[in-house]
Amino acid sequence: MSAQNTLHGKRPCVVIIGLASCFGCQLQITNMEPYLLDVLDQIELVHWQLASSDPLPDDFDIAVVEGAVTTKEAAETLRRVRRRASVVMAIGACATTAGIPGIVAPEFQDHVSAVYGDAVPDAAGSLVSPVPVSAVVPVDWEVRCCPIEGADFVAALQRFIGGSNRLSPTSTLCGECKRNERGCFYGRGVLCMGLVTRSGCGARCPSLGRACNGCAGVSPDANVAAARRMAQEAGIDGARFDSALQLFNSVGECCA
Amino acid sequence: MLYRVIDRQELPALVEAFMEDYEVIAPVESGASYAFEKVDSFDQIKLDYTTTITSCKKYVLPPRETLFKFDAENNEVTDFTVKVTPRVIFGAHACDINALNSLDMVFQDNRYRDPYYEARRNATMVIGISCTPTDSCFCHLMEADEARTGYDLFLQDIGDRYLVSIGSVTAANVLESACNPREATDEDRIAFRQATRKRQESFSKDIPDVQEIAMLMDAFHSDPFWEELGSRCLACTACSSVCPTCYCFDIADRLEPDGKSGRRERVWDACTSPQFAMVTGGHNFRDSNRNRVRHRMYHKLNGFLATHDRMLCTGCGRCVRACKAHISPIEVLKFFEEKGA
Repeated sequence: MSAQNTLHGKRPCVVIIGLASCFGCQLQITNMEPYLLDVLDQIELVHWQLASSDPLPDDFDIAVVEGAVTTKEAAETLRRVRRRASVVMAIGACATTAGIPGIVAPEFQDHVSAVYGDAVPDAAGSLVSPVPVSAVVPVDWEVRCCPIEGADFVAALQRFIGGSNRLSPTSTLCGECKRNERGCFYGRGVLCMGLVTRSGCGARCPSLGRACNGCAGVSPDANVAAARRMAQEAGIDGARFDSALQLFNSVGECCA
Repeated sequence: MLYRVIDRQELPALVEAFMEDYEVIAPVESGASYAFEKVDSFDQIKLDYTTTITSCKKYVLPPRETLFKFDAENNEVTDFTVKVTPRVIFGAHACDINALNSLDMVFQDNRYRDPYYEARRNATMVIGISCTPTDSCFCHLMEADEARTGYDLFLQDIGDRYLVSIGSVTAANVLESACNPREATDEDRIAFRQATRKRQESFSKDIPDVQEIAMLMDAFHSDPFWEELGSRCLACTACSSVCPTCYCFDIADRLEPDGKSGRRERVWDACTSPQFAMVTGGHNFRDSNRNRVRHRMYHKLNGFLATHDRMLCTGCGRCVRACKAHISPIEVLKFFEEKGA
């Protein structure tokens, strides 16, 4: 993932595109009510799928993509967007890991048949096994989690407006969680995906009493085999660990 | 050192006296464990706590702190005042006081004094309290089971009363005004000796004392042991989050949502983080869990000793509890005990 692109202070034209998703991450942008006008002030928002039915304009600098790629048409849209945009940013679990749509990936055709039988309606498009945006086009930056945190989205826009060499963290979640001092779920025999999930969210769910479900995606530096053994030591069946991992990580190497 | 004795019933008055002028931080329950937090009354304090999830380090080196604010449009620093709250940390164990003393050596090194750390440390009083070792404690092997300096008062539990070591005039004055401190008697001194003996005998016998650990680590730097230890590491950095002496930090700028102003922040970093030793251009000087775990153990049990004449590990046992992969200095001690057998 390249972080070298910068627009050198130029007020960029931004498009926000939704693929297969619940549109919750786009909603998170609107949820930043106290800051929304301040944020819009730094960009020229030329297209927002959530708020407009107009077709995608021809010229833009930053393409923000929410959702997984689940059709040939969506993949084609992405390739077209990539040719025009200086920056492609994937936001949310669906766009970064294939997320919830990705759950069907392991037995894709069976799931399609179960829902549509032999005839997939035209309106569904030409279905393909779901993949994250980065599997179709190069992505310049990913804003993770389900849903995204508004502040992370703004910081991502700012990194391309002003420039930044900050890396996306690859350490897993427990270190951030310990700082919240709420104790560990494994001590209570509760499965928590923090062992293998990328840090960066501040371990918000565990701090609120809910185990991590892995929505930030498995870290490229995760030690999945060791984590599975540790979960088993804590009395959690390996199959349950694998199944929990599939919620946001069905697509990709970790579960292959 | 000056010693006085106070009765157990006098403790609430002592804490309340501190509360008049200071924010009081003390161990409180946090789930099934304990944490240092601000308290408003003596009743919240759990002085018989085993250990806390993280240490009181967070009050002198916060996990996230603003070093200065800046105006991004005019490229100017706008504010660099350190916000300091006068505090009393009430109920620190000897290992944590020794940890603060080690941090002082780093952040108050005359060559690079850290004004942020120093301002907080100078505004923080430390009231220590004696403890009973848990099965993951090995402070006695790290010479950190007694605090000789670094506290304002140290309360040694000797039954229905405390033998109080007095380390500062300010704290002595508070003690004098809130309690009725009396001279220690021979009976008190005998009780102190017995309490100390009892603590010394309570440490787990399963944790070996390997006096030459630093030298052995140099000799076995390439042993397959490190590969095995690293193969279990989850790269989660929990070890360093809970460590009372990990002092590495990262510095990053964060813009406000309007993009017009921002703040430069210091945040805790960890050498077990995969990106810790990555440099411009992408080269990573410690590109495997083996190298990162080994590096951490060397800094705790070898490197700091060479430069500061003391182990950086205090044997507090927090990482022993925090690491799901059972990677800890105890594992290293056990390995070298077997190696030398």
